[in-house]
Amino acid sequence: MLADAERRAERSGRTAGPSGADGTMTLVSRLEVHPVTSAPDGSDLPDSMWQVARRPRWIAMLALALVIAGIFAWLGHWQIERSIESGKVVNPETETVKVLSDTVEPQSPFFDRVGGQMVSVTGQFDADDFRVVSDRVNDGDRGWWLIGRLVDDSDGASVAVAVGWAPTEDEAVAAEAAVPVGSDVSLVGRYSPSDAPSDGAYQDGRETVVSVAALVNEWSDFSGDVYAGYVVASEPWGGLDAIYSPAPVDDVSLNWLNVFYAIEWVVFAGFAVFLWFRLVRDAFEREIDEAEEARLAADVAA
Amino acid sequence: MPLKPRQRDIPKIPGAVKFYKISAYVTGVMLLLLVFEMVFKYTPLQLEMQLGGQGGFLVPKDSITEGFNLSTAILIAHGWLYVVYLFADFRLWSLMRWPFSRFIIIALGGVVPFLSFFVESHMTKLALREHAELVAEPTPKTQGAPA
Repeated sequence: MLADAERRAERSGRTAGPSGADGTMTLVSRLEVHPVTSAPDGSDLPDSMWQVARRPRWIAMLALALVIAGIFAWLGHWQIERSIESGKVVNPETETVKVLSDTVEPQSPFFDRVGGQMVSVTGQFDADDFRVVSDRVNDGDRGWWLIGRLVDDSDGASVAVAVGWAPTEDEAVAAEAAVPVGSDVSLVGRYSPSDAPSDGAYQDGRETVVSVAALVNEWSDFSGDVYAGYVVASEPWGGLDAIYSPAPVDDVSLNWLNVFYAIEWVVFAGFAVFLWFRLVRDAFEREIDEAEEARLAADVAA
Repeated sequence: MPLKPRQRDIPKIPGAVKFYKISAYVTGVMLLLLVFEMVFKYTPLQLEMQLGGQGGFLVPKDSITEGFNLSTAILIAHGWLYVVYLFADFRLWSLMRWPFSRFIIIALGGVVPFLSFFVESHMTKLALREHAELVAEPTPKTQGAPA
């Protein structure tokens, strides 16, 4: 009976002791916890969990935990990189004027990386292939575009050029006369993706889109190569207004999925180190408990 | 020799088991949703799920602009629910003072599809049996811990 009471007292004393509630980072010291001083095999018991932590086995475990935490942190870093990468600017050099034929291949698809690129091109307008396109909005005003076919001197390929904007159809048509044909012109403009063919969506008897795919069928006696996009001329001819064509807006939004994953990896990394701490504490408490049990067994036997 | 749960922790065990059980089911279901989503997204189907927006529920990958991107939402929710699951795993493991291998097995249960359901039923049974034995003991015995 006495042994039982003693045992209970000891146990409650120990459990109420400074080993702390679960998960708290309490430094556990044997001397505050229990009077047992030696292990069943006669060796000295550790004074605190930090003595256990300093053993080679637990130092190796700490190294392992740190390596794992490092891998997790690296994975987090990778996710952060990805989150920014997906918001990266596709073409950072749109405002640097480049020669069209050096930048884009005719007869090839329109790639994002050349979208909105400022280009220069030298060639001749074809006199028969001017068109007027309706329903074009410039600075909020509805109007007409004059478009033409320019044959690039350097490779003989054709490129559609949006020459300028006018508020009335007549002005747009009249401006054609002011565009030099039969002699070389050099122009600078923004290379833009072709519209899809409009499938008959006319307004005021005019096409409402600039579709290269449709234009190649309309151009007179046209055979040869063509660029997939069209050039919006920066300087118009014949009293037309310049077409408003701003630099592409960069999409800088972060990829939140990757941001959240990155935070998770940091949490996991912290957890790896915390688990090491818990395992050391368990190992320490296990030694104390086993010593206690051995002593109680000896008491009972005696 | 495995240690037994501390006296003062015994009343906390049923709650920890319940918490673990719920988060195991949630994680298991989320993981299956994730597998379902991956099949749609990364096989030649190349489809993502959306709510609202135009074009119905399943739309081509990377085409969602106005609808709620359910696929991304599942990925984010799954990630954080797994963190909750790991915490439930840790709480149960530390209250039960189980060997570390069991912590790892439970953690892996949330990563391998369907495994969480088997691991959950096994671990819950173990924990509740151990708990029942502890409660049945009139005085805390220090020896003969059940496996």
